[in-house]
Amino acid sequence: MLTIKNLHASVEQKNILNGLNLSIKQGEVHAIMGPNGAGKSTLGYVLSGRDGYQVTDGEVDFQGNNLLELDVEQRARHGLFLAFQYPVEIPGVSNMELMKESVNAVRQHRAETPLTAAEFLKKAKAACQQVQLPLEFLKRGINEGFSGGEKKRNEIMQMILLEPSLCILDESDSGLDVDALQIVANGVNSQRDGKRSFIVITHYQRLLDFIEPDFVHILANGKIVKTGDAALAKQIEKEGYAFLGLDNSAEASA
Amino acid sequence: MTWLQQVIDRGQQIDDWLSPLRLQAIETLQQAAWPTRRTESWKYTSLAALEQQQLRLAQPATPPAEPPQTAIPGLNSLDLLFVNGVLQTDISQLPLAAGLQLHTLRSASAIQRVITTSMYAQVKPQRHLFGLVNDVLANEVLFIDIAHDSHIEQPIRIISRVSEGQESHHRVLVRVGDRATVTIIEQTQSEHASFSTGFTEIELGEQAKLEHYRLVMHTRQAIYFGGCHICLHDKAELNSTMLGYGSELSRTDIDIMHNGQHARAKLNAIYLLGESEHFDLHSTIEHAKPHGSTEENVRGIVGDKANAVFNGRIHIHRGAQKTQAALQNRNLLLSRRGQINTKPELEIYADDVQCAHGATVAEIAEEALYYLRTRGICRSKALIMLNFGFIQELINQMPNPLLAQWLEPQLRARFKEMEVR
Repeated sequence: MLTIKNLHASVEQKNILNGLNLSIKQGEVHAIMGPNGAGKSTLGYVLSGRDGYQVTDGEVDFQGNNLLELDVEQRARHGLFLAFQYPVEIPGVSNMELMKESVNAVRQHRAETPLTAAEFLKKAKAACQQVQLPLEFLKRGINEGFSGGEKKRNEIMQMILLEPSLCILDESDSGLDVDALQIVANGVNSQRDGKRSFIVITHYQRLLDFIEPDFVHILANGKIVKTGDAALAKQIEKEGYAFLGLDNSAEASA
Repeated sequence: MTWLQQVIDRGQQIDDWLSPLRLQAIETLQQAAWPTRRTESWKYTSLAALEQQQLRLAQPATPPAEPPQTAIPGLNSLDLLFVNGVLQTDISQLPLAAGLQLHTLRSASAIQRVITTSMYAQVKPQRHLFGLVNDVLANEVLFIDIAHDSHIEQPIRIISRVSEGQESHHRVLVRVGDRATVTIIEQTQSEHASFSTGFTEIELGEQAKLEHYRLVMHTRQAIYFGGCHICLHDKAELNSTMLGYGSELSRTDIDIMHNGQHARAKLNAIYLLGESEHFDLHSTIEHAKPHGSTEENVRGIVGDKANAVFNGRIHIHRGAQKTQAALQNRNLLLSRRGQINTKPELEIYADDVQCAHGATVAEIAEEALYYLRTRGICRSKALIMLNFGFIQELINQMPNPLLAQWLEPQLRARFKEMEVR
């Protein structure tokens, strides 16, 4: 599905990723944990193709394609989905308008016929129900005036509608109470079908109680320093990152 | 001979029952200085294009060369068509709702002449140079009279078209009686080298409600000067939407005068400029009486080498206590070669009021663009969605959905042609 080899990336001339290696197979769930500033969010941005995130070395293969050569929108159409940590508010463009365009752009790429308005609405309703997002949120501006939890649920709603093959969840748990966390996790779990793969970026182990990972990786200083299973996440929860020789309180965000 | 002198000379030869008023305007014009870049209200709009033009008067006998105006689907409006300043619609043949009366310069009865002269150039302030030019040259005046307590369901739509090489000067006067309600759509357009002025004066009686649209759709080589001047009496309510395209030279002055207590005005304006178009909007809201409210939202998108000028003034007179007034101007600049000059002004002489004003110029929101692209939407499409979203908000606020539905695809098409750099 995804193979990252020796990935180096920088932002504003500052090296953030320093030789990251990661291989994800179909249907697997990989959690990426790490202290602040380790490069967790940067990894999501680099994989999605955000401007200003310079890949200086390494390669990324996504389902047989050289991911790094694709435009942002091409990556999305090939099945890569990034759920943002801080989804942007876009008043004036409705959620509905976005998702119609988006779903049909992806369908066109897969050589499928565009959905009719009725078909789209049916799918959109189901996706909203899955994350307990009231239907009128479809008519509102994208994330406009949404609470933190509603924004996160909206991201998962979009993910469900777009049916991607690889989902990157960037701290989809941050700022959520347990109930909201459960809703987000259920939304994600509903999409685990043995084929779809996930990268779950999180600062805390808590989310992994609900979304059980196949692998847990610790990202520090721009590379993966340790890989284990769910037990590794539990150990970090208990002992912090210190046992890996890492500073817990590292400032700056990535 | 100067341009203004040509206007004066021509005006002196016009002989009709408005002549005394035309002569008054001529007197003011004779004292008026020709605006230059040093004139504050013309600082960013050059009249060079006009100075190079010779005045030509539209020949009333000329049959309209313009294609017939298409109706707005589903709207069923009462359409009044001007071509080159000449009213083409035979108003004597129109089925008019009870409480609605129309008359013109030519058809006015003795009493209608008295009503017209009592309103002509009364709501419109004298400071507008091209308003004075229109006072002098207007070759048609349309008077719309709505009786007290009348609710006119059918929207009244006034369309003005100007053909290649032609001149057009028309005037609209509207009197909305106490507690009356009406919708008026003013649409003016020309795609050609032409020169036109169009000024409208509106008196809104006590508790009267006006839903108003002013669509200035002149493009390319057209030169246009227009104004809309509205006086609100006690508890009157105005909801006005203005749209501006740009052209060689396009200037609109809007004045809203709160001349009664508890009056409410909502003014939304949109401009959408491409190529090397110029569009200038000056608005002045005056609160002369207490308890009034004004909400003004002006949004523009400027691409390529286009040039937008916005000056929004709110003036709160001494004694206009408890006024609530807000003015927002937001601009989006799509190109490094485009220009936006914006100036909100507040002048407050009362001490118990709530006022806010602001102006911003933004470039493309990269973060939002990235977000849409991560959802599979290509850059150019995402730009249209984002930037159009910016003015879509104001389109959605138009009270008439049929008009909004008619306008939206036109604005979308225009936007798609605008260059993004």
